[in-house]
Amino acid sequence: MSTVSFRGVSKRFGVSEVLQPLDLDIRTGEFVSVLGPSGSGKTTLLNVAAGFLAPTQGKFFVDERDITSLPPRRRNIGMVFQNYALFPHMDVGANVAYGLRVRKISSAEIATRVARALQTVQLEGWESRAIASLSGGQQQRVALARAMVIEPDILLMDEPLGALDRQLRKNVQLEIRRMHLRAPRTTLYVTHDQEEALVMSDRVTVMRSGRIEQIGTAEELYHSPANTFVARFLGESNLIPGEVIDVASGKARLSVPGLERPLVGRAAAGVAKAMKAAAMIRPENIRLRPGGLHGRIVERVFLGEITAMRLVVADGIQLWSRLLGADVPQTETMDVGWRDEDVSILPDEARSK
Amino acid sequence: MTEGMPQKSSDALGAALLLAPALLVIAIAFLAPLARLAALSFSSPQGVLAAYRELLGDEVFWIVLRNTIGLAAIVTIITLTGGFALALALTRLGGGWRLALFAAVVLPLWVSVLVRTFSWMLLLERNGPINEAMVATGVIGQPVQLLFNFTGVTIAMVHVLLPYAVLPIYAALVKIDPALLKASEGLGASFATTFQRVLLPLSARGVATAAAFVFLLSLSFFVTPALLGGANNMTIPMLIDTFVNERLAWPLAGAASMLLLGLVLGCIAVIGRFVPLGGLAEAR
Amino acid sequence: MARAIGLKLFAALAAAIIVLPVIAVIPVAFSAHSYARLPPEAWSLRWWAAFFADPTWFAALIVSLEVAVLSAVACIVLGTSAALGMNRLPPVARKLLAGVFLGPIIAPAIVLAVGLYSLARSVGLVGSLLGLVIAHTMLAMPYAVLNIGVSLAALDPRLALAAAGLGADRWRIFRTITLPLILPGIAGGAVFAFVTSFDEVVLAIFLSGPQVKTLPVRIWEEIRVEYTPVVAVAATIMIVLAITGAALGRLLGRVRQEARA
Repeated sequence: MSTVSFRGVSKRFGVSEVLQPLDLDIRTGEFVSVLGPSGSGKTTLLNVAAGFLAPTQGKFFVDERDITSLPPRRRNIGMVFQNYALFPHMDVGANVAYGLRVRKISSAEIATRVARALQTVQLEGWESRAIASLSGGQQQRVALARAMVIEPDILLMDEPLGALDRQLRKNVQLEIRRMHLRAPRTTLYVTHDQEEALVMSDRVTVMRSGRIEQIGTAEELYHSPANTFVARFLGESNLIPGEVIDVASGKARLSVPGLERPLVGRAAAGVAKAMKAAAMIRPENIRLRPGGLHGRIVERVFLGEITAMRLVVADGIQLWSRLLGADVPQTETMDVGWRDEDVSILPDEARSK
Repeated sequence: MTEGMPQKSSDALGAALLLAPALLVIAIAFLAPLARLAALSFSSPQGVLAAYRELLGDEVFWIVLRNTIGLAAIVTIITLTGGFALALALTRLGGGWRLALFAAVVLPLWVSVLVRTFSWMLLLERNGPINEAMVATGVIGQPVQLLFNFTGVTIAMVHVLLPYAVLPIYAALVKIDPALLKASEGLGASFATTFQRVLLPLSARGVATAAAFVFLLSLSFFVTPALLGGANNMTIPMLIDTFVNERLAWPLAGAASMLLLGLVLGCIAVIGRFVPLGGLAEAR
Repeated sequence: MARAIGLKLFAALAAAIIVLPVIAVIPVAFSAHSYARLPPEAWSLRWWAAFFADPTWFAALIVSLEVAVLSAVACIVLGTSAALGMNRLPPVARKLLAGVFLGPIIAPAIVLAVGLYSLARSVGLVGSLLGLVIAHTMLAMPYAVLNIGVSLAALDPRLALAAAGLGADRWRIFRTITLPLILPGIAGGAVFAFVTSFDEVVLAIFLSGPQVKTLPVRIWEEIRVEYTPVVAVAATIMIVLAITGAALGRLLGRVRQEARA
């Protein structure tokens, strides 16, 4: 197990800059996901770590050792691909044993280690099954066993659950999480699925257009996003655009056209006086408050234990509110409010670009 | 996922090394012979262009050229007609029948053209089974000459080239939505109308590909015309053979070869604008 | 109903017209007559005996087999190498090279034959096994490159990456991953090259000599003058070998399909 560092790593294909120079440090045994839409450069980042791509600039370190120019086969990495990339002409055992055979380990030890690896992924005794006879979930687990059996310094996973159906994906997410907690291994996990990233990771890296937008724990990203992109990408959010009146001791005031009083909230980094910004309030933080802001309910969506409601407050300002079933008013209007600590004032990505 | 693929500068060198042996064979056994013939065609003692002048000034050459193109054209027309009927039958036949007919169409491709031509020599003989059958059924009064003339060459070449027509036309026809044909027939269209308005336009590309295959192969055919044709049916490939083996006239052989090659390449340049010829390699 | 019967009738007739002329020589090989006639009225194996008793016929068969096997081997070695090389090139260069490899298929056989003859004469390769093998390798290699190229294109490039990640070097990846997975394509290419060489006449006519000539050349020489049913025996052997090859090719094709499933 090892620490991993990207220092100033960038990648250019011709004229298009797929990765802008970025830094990322992963601690020993830490599970870090890279979350972003397609084209954000997350797979490129993974390929640089695996050695499949050489960075245009920058260096890649494992345990403070610069391995930027080391070929993949000398890196001792475990890689799980989106389509698993299992060798179709070999059985399960031979697939898992492949990396051990390359390392010239005795066949007795290979058999033991393969059996143990298959046991970890709950496929005990499946050595002689053909790859084609396995379901998607089983193939995924074989791929995991094949990557882990070589005791890699780092585990790299490229959307490994992408091909599974929704229900199975949830089960495997938890399984991988438990496996990781049992035997922590430095892991870089690429996905475009926010739920996946939140469930499994110690920390999440949000990427867009070849840049890291924010790195943090799931809670940090959710409650204090760095900008409106991260806010929008993770979970539901109300974003109310306005102009910053002033910033003082970590708090900012935002004037919003159509609202009499300015909104007050925690100022994100980069928010300054007179700039365009947006106030973010999560829908679950918009609560009933008699005498608060008067809103007309224009849409109700029943989501089981909670109900989401779209409210129109003031001129053209719309807010989503999520309330537990018992709290949902049966009226056409409701008065709402929120606490200042539930408001974040964020640089408005959409408008500053 | 192009961003996931490795790109190394050593790849270009590796590719060159891997390709080198095959390209060497192409160079020494394909390009060098052609270059040699080109050089020979300009090597007449009478002057650089003398061989071409002699060839193009000789009436025989023009007769032979006319024979070659005429034969290729007629063979192409007959083969396309038969090939279309067969391809259409293939699309309409059910499982087992389709497989059997398909096998029958493809099977001959594996047998040497020489063997197939020899077979036709036996079949087309004056006392052969075809003459006998036609006399017995009263189609003709007495056996007719089928060998060593245009008829024999045409029959055998159509037979040899038929698969090259069936395959591309069939490939085009199976892509036509059967619902279209049903619709056309449901609207009361006769088969002739359906054929003209639906089948032919929608399979035009396949038919054009087939025509290109058959015509180009016909132009270059040597074995069948040489064995089944008569003295009056000489084609350019036979003329080249004569220059080399009987007259030992290398400059003329070179010039005739260059002209035949030019004819083929010219056809490809024209046809290639309309039809993808990469399939030529896949036809067999 | 009547139309379905008509269709089947047409199919049966068409199949007969296509196939019968191909196999018509076979009964002649078993005739008892001293000349080739169809259909034979008396049967015997005398022409088979004559074929194997005549050293020139048997030698031609052996030469044909030798040339076909050697060309097939050369084709798949060079073809696999070339297909791997092409796979590493950018699409534009790949397309250009595919055009180059199409050359031997497009060029008229007689032109290639005369050119090769002239060249081979100057280096003393007329009437040699080597000359025939080189010519047939040139002729059949494009098909091998194509066939193997199709297999390679169907290969998931991530398999090689996965193997590299597990520590395998290039040679080991080729040996344990790439080669086993494109083997059906290579085998198909080999069968194809073998049959192409075995069937080929035009180049062989010009490159054969009195000592070294292939079976088709021997047949060609015989039927241009007087011939006996022994030619039909040779033709029958050629048909049987070619069809066996075709069947083998189909079988390998099926293996390939299953491997992909």
